[in-house]
Amino acid sequence: MITFASCFVRCEATVTSVPIDPLKATFWIWVEYRRQKPEPVLMQAETAHPADALRRPERNDPAFLAKIAAEQKIEPQDEMPDDYRKHLVRQISQHAHSEIVGMLPEGGWITRAPSLKRKEVLLAKVQDEGGHGLYLYAAAETLGVSRQSLLDALHSGRAKYSSIFNYATETWADIGMIGWLVDGAAIMNQVPLCRCSYGPYARAMIRICKEESFHQRQGFDIVRSLVEGTTEQKAMAQASFERWWWPTLMMFGPHDSDSVHTQASDWGIKRLSNDELRQRFVDVTVPQAAYLGLTIPDPALCWNAERGHYDFGPLDWDEFWRVVKGGGPCNEARLSARVTAFENGAWVREAAAEHARKRKFERAAKPAEKIAA
Amino acid sequence: MAATTLVFGVLPQADALRLADTCLLWAHRLSEWCGHGPAIEEDIALTNTALDAIGQARALYQAVALARGDGSSEDTLAYFRDPDEFCNLSIAAVANGDYAQTVLRSLYLSAWFISVWEGFAHTNAIELHRFAAESAKAARMCFRHASDWAVRFGDGTGESRARMERALLLLEPFVLELLDAELTGSPAQSRSGSFRQRIDACFAQATLSPLSVGSSRGSSAAERRALLTEMQSLARLHPTARW
Amino acid sequence: MSQVHDQNSGNDWPLFEVFVRSKQGLDHKHVGSLHAADDTHAISLARDVYTRRQEGVSIWVVPAASITASAPEQKSDNFDPMANKIYRHPTFYDIPDEIGHM
Ligand SMILES: [Fe+2]
Ligand SMILES: [Fe+2]
Repeated sequence: MITFASCFVRCEATVTSVPIDPLKATFWIWVEYRRQKPEPVLMQAETAHPADALRRPERNDPAFLAKIAAEQKIEPQDEMPDDYRKHLVRQISQHAHSEIVGMLPEGGWITRAPSLKRKEVLLAKVQDEGGHGLYLYAAAETLGVSRQSLLDALHSGRAKYSSIFNYATETWADIGMIGWLVDGAAIMNQVPLCRCSYGPYARAMIRICKEESFHQRQGFDIVRSLVEGTTEQKAMAQASFERWWWPTLMMFGPHDSDSVHTQASDWGIKRLSNDELRQRFVDVTVPQAAYLGLTIPDPALCWNAERGHYDFGPLDWDEFWRVVKGGGPCNEARLSARVTAFENGAWVREAAAEHARKRKFERAAKPAEKIAA
Repeated sequence: MAATTLVFGVLPQADALRLADTCLLWAHRLSEWCGHGPAIEEDIALTNTALDAIGQARALYQAVALARGDGSSEDTLAYFRDPDEFCNLSIAAVANGDYAQTVLRSLYLSAWFISVWEGFAHTNAIELHRFAAESAKAARMCFRHASDWAVRFGDGTGESRARMERALLLLEPFVLELLDAELTGSPAQSRSGSFRQRIDACFAQATLSPLSVGSSRGSSAAERRALLTEMQSLARLHPTARW
Repeated sequence: MSQVHDQNSGNDWPLFEVFVRSKQGLDHKHVGSLHAADDTHAISLARDVYTRRQEGVSIWVVPAASITASAPEQKSDNFDPMANKIYRHPTFYDIPDEIGHM
């Protein structure tokens, strides 16, 4: 238990420890932090959630935590602490936004894919990401927020999405790197979420992980054909690898010691820490890169027999925070592409809604005919 | 290359290429919507049509390459022919415009493809028969999707109706070709009958006036040139590369 | 089921729950939800969104607002009394060995 708990101690945060089940000698550490600005979406969720009539347990409610410790799923209508609900809305919607924004860097290469086979595969892959976004928005909606309000938060810049999609796809090799590295890292993050405590999220993740299985392979396959190709193709692959390696490692988030932590572990939402996941990713990817003959742009990278893991050099956290805060190469382009698509689509959505209203009205006006039919 | 080479044993090469090029360029236009559609659900629906069209283009190019037997491949046909060697229906290359134009083009092309694929229902060439039957299913799905939207737009809001009417005007110069395009083994007359029937039924439901066919023929050669410059850019930069 | 309490502007497509029969002979199973303008639209989108890998042979869509769910706070009142009706289960009865399978 001590090692379990100790990995959740975060600096720059108040740490409180509360015993919940003395029999099992279970302790949990509660890291409290204040968000810099209120998030309207979450406040909406708080006031509008479906379980208004229900008892809303405290965040450290022993019965709730015991249920989670017993691996029982929480379903939309079950009682849950407000903070649990808020945390989920934030996490699931950020995840959904990432899938949708994530369509853009790859989507830009569909029209230029260098062979018909690659074009077809990439199109199917990017389409899958749209599907993932949908599954996730739907999971978030079970918590009492509308997709519309989540999209508003994205479009107004209040909501975040994975920073990795703020990097540019400069060459075709980048499409390979995204599949191999970025989807690879995402899968590493997502597989544990299939067991997360919130039922609709876990079920969405199971579906997503099933679909993801070809994404990483198609990326690896692209990179492989490049390193086995012409001198220019090889150079393209190495240069692209160098661009994507560090940003991919940053996808796992800040160091455990620096991450603001919202007891997601105790709630059964996050099962492995950022650094654990990052280490896993490095450990499985280094041999793959070696197979491909790609050089990892990290002089500090070496096998540590004692730890049984690869050691790797420090990440550039200044860059990490700069991109998170909107200073990445493509932050503006990505967001404006989403906003434009949404605004240009307004009349389409309106027309469909209006037509549906007319049809409903017509049908209501002719009930006898309907029965006769 | 012999001009008489038959694809699938029965189809003149020029016809096969016309179908393949039309599929490919249309798929290209549809794929431009990926990530930019009016709703995520629609992105996925458009992409499904694009995937079907690319699949059909590939099958046809492969069959052409096989019939030629001269070392050409689906990719040499798609990436290394010059724009004026393409023989697509003009409407396929027209730039997307707004969603009404995209929907109308899909409506026209899917209705045309239904008439083409169904026209091969009685062919003795087994491969072509199988391919056409599969393609007809996809075309009917696309037609249903496009026709649902045409009805929503025609009978939706004032704005959607105005946009639909504008789309009808913009695409009118490309309709004639849909009616009289020659394909061996599939008489234009019976195809145009099936085409008109579908379109008129849809327009009636959409409360739009019946299909009007002008006498002029529009050209999308410039748009095709731009499209292919983009599509072929990377492949032509590395002519010896394999991907 | 999903419940959305936000004020919709009126032009947001309503939410539909999607059920898919994965194979002839099996029940329709809830697979997720989506937004659509009406039922026809919902069916067509469900096909694109939820059966891209041939996951189904039949689709149902139901407006999420039409679903009435049992009250969660009555979960134990509703379902706990069933737990003590053990005579409903075949294992409640002893069948002599000589009889064999029944
Ligand atoms: Fe995904
Ligand atoms: Fe993916």
